Amino acid sequence: MNLEGMRAYREDESVDAVVVGTGAGGAPLIARLAAAGLKVVALEAGPNFTPERFAFDETLADEIYWTMERLSGGSTPEAFGANNSGTGVGGSTLHWGAFVPRADARDLRLHTESGMGVDWPLAYEDLRPFYERVERFLGVSGAQAYPWDAARRYPLPPVPRNGPAQIMAQACEARGIRWADAPAAVVSQDFQSEDGPRRNACINCGFCHQGCRNGAKASMDVTYLPFAVSRGAEIRAEAFVHGLERGADGRITGVVYRQDGQDRRQRCGTVFLCAGAVETPRLLLHLGLANSSGQVGRNYMGHVATQVWGTFPNAVRMNRGYPSSLITEDFIRPGADFAGGYLIQSLGVVPLTFGNAAARGRGLWGKPLLDYLDRYNHIAGIGINGETLPCDANVLTLSDELDARGMRKAHVSFGYSTNENRLNAHATAVMRGLWEEAGAEDIWVLERVAHTIGTCRMGRDGSSAVVDPQGRSFDIDNLWICDGSTFPSSLAANPALTIMALSLRSAEAFLAEGH
Amino acid sequence: MSEPDVLFCLHFLGGSARSWERLARALDGVPFCVPVDLPGFGDAAGTTGYSVAAMADHVAARIRTRAPARFGLVGHSMGAKVALALARRSEDGEPGLTGLTDLILISGSPPSPEPIPDERRAKMLAWIDADPETRRREARAFVTANVGQPLDAADEDRAVDDVLRAAPAAWTAWLKSGGREDWGRWIGVLRTPALILAGSADADLGEDAQAALMAPHLAHHRRVTVAGVGHLLPLERPAILAERLRAHFGDRPGQADPDAPAVPPAYAALIDSERVNSRLREALGARAAPDDPAYRPTALDPVELAILRAAMGRVVPVPNLDLAARLDRRLASGEGDGWRFSALPPDADAYRAALRTLDAAARAAHGRPFVILGGNDQDTLLTLCERAELTVPDMLGGRLDADRMRFWFEDLRADAVRLWLGHPAALARIGFSGIGAGGDRDGEIADGLPGFRAVGLDSPEAWEPRAAYEGTAR
Repeated sequence: MNLEGMRAYREDESVDAVVVGTGAGGAPLIARLAAAGLKVVALEAGPNFTPERFAFDETLADEIYWTMERLSGGSTPEAFGANNSGTGVGGSTLHWGAFVPRADARDLRLHTESGMGVDWPLAYEDLRPFYERVERFLGVSGAQAYPWDAARRYPLPPVPRNGPAQIMAQACEARGIRWADAPAAVVSQDFQSEDGPRRNACINCGFCHQGCRNGAKASMDVTYLPFAVSRGAEIRAEAFVHGLERGADGRITGVVYRQDGQDRRQRCGTVFLCAGAVETPRLLLHLGLANSSGQVGRNYMGHVATQVWGTFPNAVRMNRGYPSSLITEDFIRPGADFAGGYLIQSLGVVPLTFGNAAARGRGLWGKPLLDYLDRYNHIAGIGINGETLPCDANVLTLSDELDARGMRKAHVSFGYSTNENRLNAHATAVMRGLWEEAGAEDIWVLERVAHTIGTCRMGRDGSSAVVDPQGRSFDIDNLWICDGSTFPSSLAANPALTIMALSLRSAEAFLAEGH
Repeated sequence: MSEPDVLFCLHFLGGSARSWERLARALDGVPFCVPVDLPGFGDAAGTTGYSVAAMADHVAARIRTRAPARFGLVGHSMGAKVALALARRSEDGEPGLTGLTDLILISGSPPSPEPIPDERRAKMLAWIDADPETRRREARAFVTANVGQPLDAADEDRAVDDVLRAAPAAWTAWLKSGGREDWGRWIGVLRTPALILAGSADADLGEDAQAALMAPHLAHHRRVTVAGVGHLLPLERPAILAERLRAHFGDRPGQADPDAPAVPPAYAALIDSERVNSRLREALGARAAPDDPAYRPTALDPVELAILRAAMGRVVPVPNLDLAARLDRRLASGEGDGWRFSALPPDADAYRAALRTLDAAARAAHGRPFVILGGNDQDTLLTLCERAELTVPDMLGGRLDADRMRFWFEDLRADAVRLWLGHPAALARIGFSGIGAGGDRDGEIADGLPGFRAVGLDSPEAWEPRAAYEGTAR
């Protein structure tokens, strides 16, 4: 993004806030704090890209993924990198799918409802105003009458339904399942970002996950961050944070980061860790901080994100259009033998993603692989995002292996338990049924885990949680965490919108204290 | 091209310059043979310096003395390893060694440690210092054990005499260290046209060893197995050897330009159109460029690269595309995809261990290296990997267990398909239109990109390509 004319703070000046990470967790609060007149410095590990780099190619997009290696273990090892982890000014929103359902109110009190999982220390009504603010600011496109929330209005009309969405809509109709145009943080009309660039309407290119070339997708670098810079925030790119300095009272006094091969220090009054559910706990474990609860790294969650694929007689050409342009939330509470539920979305993917799924997930190789890839233009998918309950066995730890900087690599152990397996079986049967209804041939199931959630859970009690319901560390009162790591449970909804809402909520709580 | 001016001929362990007399006669001066006694052998029995490097220096001095404009190197067994080291120095431009036109490798000892059973090595070490009678008896046994058919009596006697002339220290040095030196990465992959000869009756350095351990170091080679011959082709069948040399000089391998998968004209035109941005066009062009047949791997060694090529050929069977070399380049760059299965070692180590395990599995199951197995047998082993059923004991060379081989094979499939689908020929084959959604525009946020107007079912735009299997007609 354009950082020309950006305000610059001296390192020895104690700024009000240093924010570590510029993705969905960091950017909204950087913007809000700067707008309130605070001195804010954001430190981003990745480079500063401009959309001119984005080239409609998956391999060339490798640079926007977090490729510092993580070790993936457990019974359902999760892929990182392009699957869920970004880098650069804007963080993972550079590559995110921009699919922005809100959390279902029931998911926030799952334990009360089912006796399983945990309740969040806040209610849907606490989040709703922030959801609305984020949706307005980003320019979310979506159904004008949302079947599962009569009160909801999306600011912009939906993006067009692409091939997979049309197929899924027909199948849902036939099976009596409600469906809607998906809520997408992609502008369906030209849209002026507040104190940011004019964003062009989506051109349906299908490369959301490779970086949006015309600003249609609401990545942070075309939304909250330009706003933040216009209000006096400074963003430092290629600044990898690896240390926190503390005073005699234990409070944070500065942040240590490596830039251009040099360690640098920024003094600050408060630090917000917004580095995501892997790098945030990794830093805290590395430093041995904010962990009196012993909960840092615990309850790692990825969503159950199983997909079903099929081949159709139609020219689907699934690369065209917004990739997930249809949703159903009819299975948020399917009333089956498991707690929680899932949403279903239509899926179109670009070739390498598809090939990776066919080769890894379907196990194809040799001629069968080439023959299957040949059918690319006739293939469509549907997939879920399903609840994962917190679980003791699912944990992020530091491995003994060091990265290039000499920091121990993250090791994530993740596996499904009974609830996830039951949910997955239910969803797989539903999706298969839909694709059979739609006339698909050669149907197959791709087991997949998505997103990075948990590891620094929020709660009301410092003995069992890392941060309070506002995101503040119980141990160090000027250390906050605002990213997917604070989620006590996964929710069925994709996490980014909720992360942004929580980010604004933390910012308001911080400001309310008189900062 | 015609014959080189001179052939420098480097003998086997226990041979000498005399080992080449019959070949020289058969060639009758075209080209002219310069047999060299390596240090510790023949007339150079009193010369020391038995390492591969020292032997190569010894030969280099002879080459410099003659200063031929164009020369070939003929290396037999031990001499082959010396010839390979010299070829690397020549290709690297060492003054006085340029002008190398051909490498002739006869039952060659490969750049990596020689695959000789410990038992045989120990036996050879035991008698070389023994009493004269034992030495004479064992030297004769050594010669007769290494031929397919008995030599005629005079030749056999001369060969036995040569063994006995050798300095025992030189003999011992080769068995204990020279033959075990690992020159694989240093020699890398040579561009010099090469003829690889093997005897069908050779025990340790026959056609399988040549295919698995020698050929991977030679980008442009032809392998020939001579029926009925053991390890001593220059002594056993000098006329056939001369014939093979002439055939090689008349038709050297690797003279044609390297091929690459073809990008159909219609797709090439799309790439050249203003619908495709410059950065992508340049990247597609780079991916479409032919691979260098002499690609020198850095993450893997050349032997492992050859195994990977064989496996890749089964996973993504497309001709004229060296996915293995492209993968090695990525492994060497250290640019991973951000994660790995925690059960596996770091990517490059995992690939090396897995490829060695796969090869060991082939040897255990078929008695042959993976690279030389037929496609069906290779597929059977890869299927075992897929099912987590490929188990090779440590003592047979297994380095990863069955579960790890399954993880590795999953990574291999993913890496292979990713590299293939980056190629414009692959995108053309599947009829992918996405590259044409936007061209070059000035400014941070692009205005007026074409994208797709219609995105629903059965609504292709006129310019969108079709998959090859659906035909190009509209």
